[in-house]
Amino acid sequence: MSAVARMTVLHLRTVAPYRTQGLLVLGLLLLVLARNPDHVVPALAVLLAPLIAVHPFVVADKAGLETLYAVLPLPRRTVLLGHYAWALASFVATVTAGTVPALLLTQAEGVPFGGRTLATMLTLAWVLFAVNIAIQFPLLIRFGYARISVLGTTMPLALVMLAVYRLHLTIASIQAWLPLVWVAGAAAIVTSAVLAAHAPRPRE
Amino acid sequence: MCSEFAFALRGVGAEVGNGFALRDVSFELPTGYVMGLIGANGAGKTTTIRCLLGMRGFDTGEIDLLGHRVPGPIALRQDIGVVLDHTYLVGDWRLAEVERTLRPFYDRWDGDRYRQLLAEFGLDMRAKVKDLSRGMAMKLMIAVALSHRARLLVFDEPTSGLDPVARNELVGIIGDFLLDEGHSVLFSTHITSDLDRIGDYLTLIHGGRVVRTGPKDEILDAYRVVRGGPEDLSGLIGVELIGLRRTAAGAEALVRTEEATLLGGDVLVEAPTLEEIAIHIGSPPMKAAATQYGRSGATT
Amino acid sequence: MRVVLSNSSGVPLYQQIKEQIGAAILSGELAENSALPSVRALARDLRISIITTNRAYTELAAEGFIATVPGKGAYVLPLDSALVREQLLRQVEDGMQTALDAARRAGLDREELIQILDGLMRAEHEHA
Repeated sequence: MSAVARMTVLHLRTVAPYRTQGLLVLGLLLLVLARNPDHVVPALAVLLAPLIAVHPFVVADKAGLETLYAVLPLPRRTVLLGHYAWALASFVATVTAGTVPALLLTQAEGVPFGGRTLATMLTLAWVLFAVNIAIQFPLLIRFGYARISVLGTTMPLALVMLAVYRLHLTIASIQAWLPLVWVAGAAAIVTSAVLAAHAPRPRE
Repeated sequence: MCSEFAFALRGVGAEVGNGFALRDVSFELPTGYVMGLIGANGAGKTTTIRCLLGMRGFDTGEIDLLGHRVPGPIALRQDIGVVLDHTYLVGDWRLAEVERTLRPFYDRWDGDRYRQLLAEFGLDMRAKVKDLSRGMAMKLMIAVALSHRARLLVFDEPTSGLDPVARNELVGIIGDFLLDEGHSVLFSTHITSDLDRIGDYLTLIHGGRVVRTGPKDEILDAYRVVRGGPEDLSGLIGVELIGLRRTAAGAEALVRTEEATLLGGDVLVEAPTLEEIAIHIGSPPMKAAATQYGRSGATT
Repeated sequence: MRVVLSNSSGVPLYQQIKEQIGAAILSGELAENSALPSVRALARDLRISIITTNRAYTELAAEGFIATVPGKGAYVLPLDSALVREQLLRQVEDGMQTALDAARRAGLDREELIQILDGLMRAEHEHA
């Protein structure tokens, strides 16, 4: 198992004790969105996936895991990549967990879903998540959750909303650029990781 | 594999902030022995340990750790166990989960030893980290360190918040660990009882500087504690009165042994205990510099 | 082996260990070739530093009481070695010096001292 994979498993174990809360949020969102099942996937990507992706930082602050990362035989770069790997895993897991009920619910409600619509929703989910994480993670890695908490976690979302509003983006307009939007999301994440890796090391 | 020194710091300086810094910190521990790093809160103990372990950078000087120049290869951390006065594990992990989580990172992890140590320490595999008492939490961290076969154990303030029974157990655990000649221990403390008996070497640190380092007996021999009446211990030439304390009833200070002969006959000159040395070295000079030292409080 | 350390006797810990092990060897309680615990094991059991324990062993070895095996432990040497004899002679001298000091204060002369010594030896002989 590679070092980054081991780090991802460490994050999984870090958040594992709090899985019930995660499932509760998932259930609640599905309940609320039962009437608009085609929006389930992006909604989860905006609300649930970042929550899971950020959770190791929340626990780390409380439990002093920064010390653990410094004591374990792991280079700092691996710890950093491990955070991003965990974020990607959170996204994949959340979207997978959302796509299945979305398909079932749209079937039951008779809403047309699948193919092009599904691809659009997944793309939308990806870019919303990617931008959010790309902004949050370097801050979280540099300052820790406690110091950026509310501002840091809501600001990216507000920025994304503002961009959508100002650019008059609609689902239809995105549809024409699906591959490009995927690449843009990926580029945002990669840039973020590079930034985080080169940020000056905290003194303390 | 086995180097002569477990670690050696030479001229280490590190800017911490708030006007506090480590300055020219040098000391070393031969492999196979215990060193106590003694100083008041804010003296620089934790910063020194963090520099030693490569957990923070330093500006000047060099550090050798288990035969490697810090920061050495990352595998060096396989050989080091770090025990702080608190755990750095998720509170909701059970002790069995602690093992499952940490094991993949260590090449020499020994699960049988982990279970055997927990049983020996009276820790339940099903207990949660957050439910452990301070003493139990420390024993858990020791069990982790011994299970990945660390050769150097570093304790930061292990005895703070421990009851005497747990402190005594710690002394026994360290004794067992040191049966292997390749094993070494560094502990920092502001409590000088219990552990001073087992300490082979001492380093006294104050205000970010090493005041004295060496074998314990040499350090004890290097100082004398002097006591006199309220009017004594004044106007002395060639004698530095360390941590002078003057009250209406008398005056007390620490002096270097070679200077003790310069004192008059009316004062009582005695061999100090380690605690007396620590108290006098750690207490701020009586008038002038009190505020200056106050600033460096709690910044370690 | 039995070592009981006092924290308040004023005698350094290494000295206490040395004297007690030395006495046990001289009295025959620790027989020739019997194994002593390793420095590290003894340090652990007495909860004292390794350097202190090592000093006691080093001095016992220098005085010919024990031989240390690096990395293992130590064992008791035969009592008739020259160094031990010297040690015993020194003890005899010390004891006699004490007797002489007391005799001077009591005003005893050489004849009377020798009579006392003869008496003690005779009594010991009869007991044996």
